[in-house]
Amino acid sequence: MRTPTYLVTLRYAAAIFVTAVFMFPIFWWTLTSIKPTNAIFNKDEVVWFDFEPTLINYRVTVMGESPSALTGGSTGSGTTMGTGGENSFDGRRTIVDSIIIAVGSTIFTIIVAVGAAYALSRMTFRGNQAYLNWVLSYRFMPPIAIIVPLVFMFRDLGLRDTHLGIILVHSLINLPIAVLLLKSFLDDIPKDVDQAAMIDGATRWQSFRLVVLPMIKGGIAATAVLCFVFSWTEFLLSLFLTSEIRTLPVKITTFVTSTGSEWGFIAALGTSAMIPSFIFILLVQRHLVRGLTMGAIKD
Amino acid sequence: MASVTFDNVVKSYGSVEVLHGINLDIEDGKFVVLLGPSGCGKSTLLRMLAGLEEITGGEVSIGGRIVNDVHPKDRNIAMVFQNYALYAHMTVRENMAFSMTLKKTDKATIEERVNWAAKILSLEDYLDRQPKALSGGQRQRVAMGRAIVRNPDVFLFDEPLSNLDAKLRVQMRTEIKELHQKLKTTTVYVTHDQIEAMTMADTVVIMRDGNIEQIGTPLEVYDKPANLFVAQFIGSPGMNIVEGTIGKKDGAPTLDARGLALPVPTDMNVREGQQVLYGVRPEHLAESHNGVGVEAKISVIEPTGPETHIYADLAGQEICAISRERLAWQPDSGIKLQPMMEHVHLFDAGTKFAIARQ
Repeated sequence: MRTPTYLVTLRYAAAIFVTAVFMFPIFWWTLTSIKPTNAIFNKDEVVWFDFEPTLINYRVTVMGESPSALTGGSTGSGTTMGTGGENSFDGRRTIVDSIIIAVGSTIFTIIVAVGAAYALSRMTFRGNQAYLNWVLSYRFMPPIAIIVPLVFMFRDLGLRDTHLGIILVHSLINLPIAVLLLKSFLDDIPKDVDQAAMIDGATRWQSFRLVVLPMIKGGIAATAVLCFVFSWTEFLLSLFLTSEIRTLPVKITTFVTSTGSEWGFIAALGTSAMIPSFIFILLVQRHLVRGLTMGAIKD
Repeated sequence: MASVTFDNVVKSYGSVEVLHGINLDIEDGKFVVLLGPSGCGKSTLLRMLAGLEEITGGEVSIGGRIVNDVHPKDRNIAMVFQNYALYAHMTVRENMAFSMTLKKTDKATIEERVNWAAKILSLEDYLDRQPKALSGGQRQRVAMGRAIVRNPDVFLFDEPLSNLDAKLRVQMRTEIKELHQKLKTTTVYVTHDQIEAMTMADTVVIMRDGNIEQIGTPLEVYDKPANLFVAQFIGSPGMNIVEGTIGKKDGAPTLDARGLALPVPTDMNVREGQQVLYGVRPEHLAESHNGVGVEAKISVIEPTGPETHIYADLAGQEICAISRERLAWQPDSGIKLQPMMEHVHLFDAGTKFAIARQ
């Protein structure tokens, strides 16, 4: 039976509409980042494309050029411009910090979680199930509940305002979900496969490294994307536990001040912040193929 | 190549004992099939031999060496799993070479062994494919190839054909048997399919509830079942069993059951009044054309081609007879059936053991 044309059209229309709803904020944000201030703030009409594109916002936030030098001291609301020649809108270090933290915590989480998930999936030990529940219980509590003790602990341990500190705290939040996810991927691989490897002469470590690990590559990639995106966008913990080191979400909020908000800069840094995340996902997505274990077993 | 011995082997999970002291000697080069219904412990026994399950009690030896505490990788065994358990991310060649790669065998030898195995299993054209690009039968052959390249002491098969379709199963059955005749490696094969057991085995070991019920050649267990369980488990359709009491009619022993008097072989070691189970296989229940025999009412006729299964009602009990004749039987009509005396089995109603002939 052929689907009637109007139905097909309707389906496409619905799909396009939904996509547009989700894409519009990103589009508008990107558009804002290349608008001059008078186009961003125009109280008479909404400016769509009727403006002179400018890269000033990018030159300030990601190239580190001085805003006053670029605009003769009259960009934006003008009142929050760099004091004493220092460019407080320079996002270059923040981008580097954010990348270090997101990549670091993702790698750390994956290494620990793969080991934990393998043990939970493949080995029987006392309290196996209880341990799993305990791991999950970390997620029951909102991070804000532990933030005050964390601030004090981090101060005493000298981890406050360090990359390592934020890497650890992001890993702490990500670990439970990563362990559970990876465990479910591991559970999908029949134990017979490990056992076949052992009978073939592999030690447990070899069967893990040469047989099991390559088979959960897709699962690891998916988990890594989740961890990366969480760390990349996390705000609260980073805000409390850092002052010099700033991650992008925290840095961007400093552009909103009591004397005015630099929407052009916010949009430019926000748009730039999408790029590393986008590249990371692009890199791992080729591993995100379904059915990696296909062919190991009958079905 | 090696012999295998189970000496009073016990397996428990916590307080539940699933194998109760298994004793079994497997001669070097034999093809032994462990046969039994689900949950009888046959797979557990095999996995204990492989080293995948811990041995709770007793000793398992391969080639005279006790292997209770030997890691699977050091037992020099090869195993084919029910679900194939292939390494999905490797090609067929890599799958087969895996064990040798681990042992750091030189490339030329690996190449030679893999090609040899591929030739035996007709996998030469598929060596560079991944398992997902193969059919079920080909995957099963890869699993077998992975086993034979290593030249192991013992082959273990854990229901390897149960995932294949009927036609392929018959074909692979023959291939496995051929392979065994060629390689003459000691083989332990687990299945719940009696046809597989009968066709492939040198020795069939029939198990139930963690015990061995009977050990024998396929024809021994078929012709001389040691007890009621074996008699009913082997053979399809199953043996007809009628419960009754030994009586006497015209000086000859009979079985009095349901108002009938079935003839009992005169050389049976029974006494009058003994409660027994009377067993006769469907193919040993012949239609009688000379008036003797018992009257039954046909309920269903199932022609299979070479033979016809006749299900009939014998004084309220359903029985089955097999005939190679092509007569126009009709449901609801009567049929006179006569058991062949030399093929009648009697089992004690209490112990369920077979009653011996004198």
